Amino acid sequence: MATQADLETFVTQVTCPDDFDRFWQEVRSELDGIPLEATCEADTLRSTDTATVYQARYRSLGGLEIFAWYAVPTQGTGPFPAILHLPGYKSEPALRRDWGAKGVAVLSVAVRGKLPSSGDFNPGYPGLLTTGVEDRDAYSYKGVISDCVRGVDFLLSRTEIDRDRIYCCGSSQGGGLTLITSALRPEIKAGVAGYPFLCCFPESMRMLRSYPYDELSCYQRAHPERTEQMLETLRYFDAVNFAPRIECPMVVGIAMEDEVCPPETSYAAYRLLGGERELWLFPESGHGNAHEYPARERSWLEDRIGVSNPQAATP
Amino acid sequence: MAGGPHWREQPAGGDTVTAAQQRSEAFWERIEAQLAETDPDIAIDRDAFYSQPEWDVFQMRYTSAGGHRLFAWLSVPHGDGPFPALIRMPDYASVHDIIYTPLRHQAVVMNATHRGQRNSDEQVRASYPGLLTDGIESSDTYTLFGAYADALRAMDVLTMQSVATVGTVALMGAGLGASLALAAAARRPHISAVAADTPLALGHPTALEPGLGYPLGELADYLRMYPETRDAVEERLSVVNPLNTASGVRCPVLMSAGRFDRSVCPLDFAEELAGALTECDFRVYDGAAEGGGHLHGQVRGAWLAARLGLEIS
Repeated sequence: MATQADLETFVTQVTCPDDFDRFWQEVRSELDGIPLEATCEADTLRSTDTATVYQARYRSLGGLEIFAWYAVPTQGTGPFPAILHLPGYKSEPALRRDWGAKGVAVLSVAVRGKLPSSGDFNPGYPGLLTTGVEDRDAYSYKGVISDCVRGVDFLLSRTEIDRDRIYCCGSSQGGGLTLITSALRPEIKAGVAGYPFLCCFPESMRMLRSYPYDELSCYQRAHPERTEQMLETLRYFDAVNFAPRIECPMVVGIAMEDEVCPPETSYAAYRLLGGERELWLFPESGHGNAHEYPARERSWLEDRIGVSNPQAATP
Repeated sequence: MAGGPHWREQPAGGDTVTAAQQRSEAFWERIEAQLAETDPDIAIDRDAFYSQPEWDVFQMRYTSAGGHRLFAWLSVPHGDGPFPALIRMPDYASVHDIIYTPLRHQAVVMNATHRGQRNSDEQVRASYPGLLTDGIESSDTYTLFGAYADALRAMDVLTMQSVATVGTVALMGAGLGASLALAAAARRPHISAVAADTPLALGHPTALEPGLGYPLGELADYLRMYPETRDAVEERLSVVNPLNTASGVRCPVLMSAGRFDRSVCPLDFAEELAGALTECDFRVYDGAAEGGGHLHGQVRGAWLAARLGLEIS
């Protein structure tokens, strides 16, 4: 179990590349040149009295078609506040229609590699974390992160969405992607990052033997001569390098018994956050299973969104 | 290889062998017959990339009922066997990956998939949500029924494979994986222990209640759209009601549930199931579908190690 002292004394060796911002600006520019081609198809089987569910699709980096569940409140005409929900490493994108009753829309993204966004890119699990890791431009996560960035574009393209009230959340990989996407998209007004993955790659792969980080250790063992290049690539995708660039309020939730994402590495990202920040520590919990986390995430987002008056005019 | 009795013994003077139990037995006999006539055609290849200094990792492929080609990860400790073995039955998810457990140092660990999951999806690809209702219009087309055959096949091919000599075998699983583990243990008496976390209530009337979250909520979605099918769906699914096979599980069971679970294993169902098992250490936690989370993970690890005769550091 990690202690508070462990968190405080941990220092990551990850440094930020000099051309980090330029790299990501170029990715954004590349994305801007790709037509979004957003579509929404109503899914009557999944829709409820409080949320109309759509199967949404849009184009992302490389022209790949990305799938997302899009749940829109049935009551009112909007504009609705929206949550961008980002997925865990191997888990399915969550269909969060429960927010419909609160007047909040949710876009839950199946990043590339996940069903049903895996048609043209399908490295598998394990596999995603090391695919293309020799080259920052070929690395899988350049696409995965782009898919999240484009999720914001999707929401901005919708007339029923209040473009000034877009929020973000997710756990595990979804937590790491929440941090990264919030840094790249200032349209995000606040976020909750639970048990964030993608933090402090070099230390994480040394501290634990569990997947997904162990994929990197397997890669290192198989290709020792490429380790340096792997670590160089990962600097561009490490959430600790995005954290200082986040200006919106952000929560980081950490399970002190986390056996998948070392608590020290999540805390390193928290400590570097550039805006208002809040820390939730769960002493007797492991990865993704703090009993009180879901309710706390919901309550915090409800407060930020102001669900008592979800369609209020934006100040 | 069929096991012993598959439902509770009749009490004196009573007639408790219900129509549902008869349908359940017929369901299992049909699965066993399909498996018996299907060559498992096992292929196994060492995966050098994911093998570890202390154990080898293999990619295993074999055929289940209906000709479905299935995939499993198998890890084998270095050294001479026989090794105790642990089969981790697949949960409701497209991915069933190589989960790290300290037991891999000393035990053979098999992560079996069922049809429709990643790497086992040549004939059918499961969707999430969707797995619980895919093909539910008929027993012959219901994808998930095949998962029960696949669970039995996993246990059988573990004993047939050639890369490790296997001794004591235990099963574990969460959600759907827990229900598969319990059902499979009822059919294979050589199973020595089952760790079942939040068994999926599929087949129990509780599963059809409105207002449940996914995965069970899939059934309410379906019945909302096709309300006229309710009786048929309830009858069809009843063959996999874990209560039907509970008394056939003769080995010790460690079972966990979350007090506030409204999506996988509602507490009323869990309590009923625990009561129907012959030897069950039932733990209830103040959680939802995550059950006991980290705390129960510690309990489960120690319990399985003891049943397999292992020590975990």
